[in-house]
Amino acid sequence: MDINFTKEDIAFRDEVREWLANDYPKHVKEKTDNGIALTRQDMVDYHKALSKKGWMGYNWPEEHGGTGWSSTQLYIFNKEFGLAGCPPLLAFGVSMVAPVIWTFGNEEQKKKFLPDILNFDTWWCQGYSEPGSGSDLASLKTKAVLEGDHYIVNGAKTWTTLAQNADWIFCLVRTDNSGIKQEGISFLLIDMKTPGIEVKPIITIDGEHEVNSVFFTDVKVPVENLVGEEGKGWTYAKFLLAHERFGIAGVGASMRQLNRLKGIISKLDNSELQKKVNELEVALSAIEITELRLLSALENGGHPGAESSILKIKGTEMQQNLSELFVEAAGEYALMYPGPHGYESNDKPAGPEYAAEGLSGFLNLRKTSIYGGSNEIQKNILSKFVLGV
Amino acid sequence: MNLNYSEEQTMLREQIQKFCESEYDFYKREDIVKSDSDFDPNVWKLFAEQGWLSMPFSEDAGGLGFGAIELSILFEEFGKSLVIEPYLATVVLSGSILDKSSYESKNQIIEQICSGEMHVSFAYAEVNKSYDYSSPNTTLDSGNCLNGTKTLVLNGANAQKLIVSCSKGDELTLVILDSNTKGVSINSFSTIDGQSCSEISFENVQLDSLNIIATADEAKRLIDESINLATLCVSAEAVGCMESCYLKTLEYTKGREQFGQPISNFQVLQHRMVDMFIESELAKSLLIKAMLEVNNNSDDMFKHVSALKSYIGKSGKLSAKEAVQLHGGMGVSEEMMIGHYLKKMISIDALFGNADYHLKKMS
Repeated sequence: MDINFTKEDIAFRDEVREWLANDYPKHVKEKTDNGIALTRQDMVDYHKALSKKGWMGYNWPEEHGGTGWSSTQLYIFNKEFGLAGCPPLLAFGVSMVAPVIWTFGNEEQKKKFLPDILNFDTWWCQGYSEPGSGSDLASLKTKAVLEGDHYIVNGAKTWTTLAQNADWIFCLVRTDNSGIKQEGISFLLIDMKTPGIEVKPIITIDGEHEVNSVFFTDVKVPVENLVGEEGKGWTYAKFLLAHERFGIAGVGASMRQLNRLKGIISKLDNSELQKKVNELEVALSAIEITELRLLSALENGGHPGAESSILKIKGTEMQQNLSELFVEAAGEYALMYPGPHGYESNDKPAGPEYAAEGLSGFLNLRKTSIYGGSNEIQKNILSKFVLGV
Repeated sequence: MNLNYSEEQTMLREQIQKFCESEYDFYKREDIVKSDSDFDPNVWKLFAEQGWLSMPFSEDAGGLGFGAIELSILFEEFGKSLVIEPYLATVVLSGSILDKSSYESKNQIIEQICSGEMHVSFAYAEVNKSYDYSSPNTTLDSGNCLNGTKTLVLNGANAQKLIVSCSKGDELTLVILDSNTKGVSINSFSTIDGQSCSEISFENVQLDSLNIIATADEAKRLIDESINLATLCVSAEAVGCMESCYLKTLEYTKGREQFGQPISNFQVLQHRMVDMFIESELAKSLLIKAMLEVNNNSDDMFKHVSALKSYIGKSGKLSAKEAVQLHGGMGVSEEMMIGHYLKKMISIDALFGNADYHLKKMS
């Protein structure tokens, strides 16, 4: 047994750190370090800086223009970005729709969409959840009817993250109602500028506009935007989910938060809080090593399987618990909440600086145990595939 | 990086599993618990024959020179079968002190431990000292006369020799003596998990310099490392218990029918068993980290053992309580094995600092 990374992996880690120190856009770093929300342009600058380095396809195979990194390199990349406090990379294009396109799409689709994703010239969003279809995703109703060489799409998607910024949306739509609900679902790529699409903000409890409702009224989608076969969308959706689990624990980002919290609490002389922080430190170490165990299994020819659901459940609980301790550390100043963007400098009230950020995180991170297959769904997955019941 | 066990390590695990299955089932264990000695001399002899009693001792002293990884494997498997033989007291606690000391006549004693002829207990704890083992009230005066009382001495009743921590002036000192020396009186009790421990008082026990194993910094280091290794071992034992709690509960709920179906069909029970599975996996991860640190004798080893001990103290008890609950009435029956895991978890949490103690120690 050896828990250490190889020399090559350490050299790779240093290269990532060098990029973060020198080429991670300064204006983005300054905002995220100070808890200020990023604009669309900031996010574009951040992703384009990665494209320039050739790292936008960080989790892609080389044949499609990606880095071809090993699982260990990917792990290190994710962890270092988290430790540096970088915003999570937008997954919708590079990690979600791209693997579906290169696996199930045709040559034209690959040529049309993949280069733009690598250059971050298109911003993608995900059209999965519907007002009536949450965890029971296969019950979705948004309808696509083929008329000549177009699908006519009608329906509504919800919880669509950053749809207000998106150029394209990949959608699960119903093309057939006759069989069981998993059949008759198709995977469509839709230009957000198409007439008949309306994006309405949903404001979350932290006051932030991150998610949206997207309404489709007689939206004409060219038939060449169908990925793979009609009616096979559910298979592609499941493939996509399996692709996305790894790295979901967010260990690097949680380590950064833990270290900041330790700094704050060391000044408070509060042994109860100190004990809680220590407890989270132990739990985070357990998550980190569990991820390394999966990584080790992967690198030695195994595959992560349903156990990666552990990382989703425990990783998201960790993020939430850390944010809750920021709120506890704020003490009575947890009373004041300025909204997601903080106070303007001239009306800043008394109280610790981390209070507002803590509350914002606490409220915002509620979503983590709900999205990506809620933690209860993850437990169903573990019941079925690990417990065998 | 490779976090898989080696082929040899996996073989060792299988060997122990096989042994526990054939020689140490729950009924056999019950007989041993009810016997007077609280261990089985025949089983101990088999331990010696398998080489397990020699495992952690250095090759110079006649041992196999195995490290923390192999010990953790052994204790994980002991945990699964709830083995109560006094391996911890003799081989781990006392053995570690002897093996790492510069005590002149240590090899003779180690040889007798390896062959299964001798039990040695380490008397580290005292009343009202909580988990502080470095400032004993037991004294050794300038004429090497030992006075004081030690408590919770694991396997004290069966030990032919005792290692005792004491203060000589203001110097921490470790002595070793025969348990039948004049002035030693031993009062023994059963522990919650079926082992035995003793309260031992020393009244004007006359020793000489040949009884002294180590003093001052060396004594402190030997005690710290011995307790740390023992803490790792009982934590590994807890990890084994946690896996068994989860697996036995799963098996039970699959076979138990109520309302016309196996109760494992109920989602509320499924999610609770998933939680047990997750806790068992996370505890395994912390065990891997801690045992590697101890194996490398790293500066951080104490911290990582504390992390592990605090974690299994909480989640281990939780798993065992859930196991009892999900077994329904059977969970609280003395004749069923499952309730005994809960007792084991209580005893493990109580040993060498409970969860709260180790959490505080980390900062």
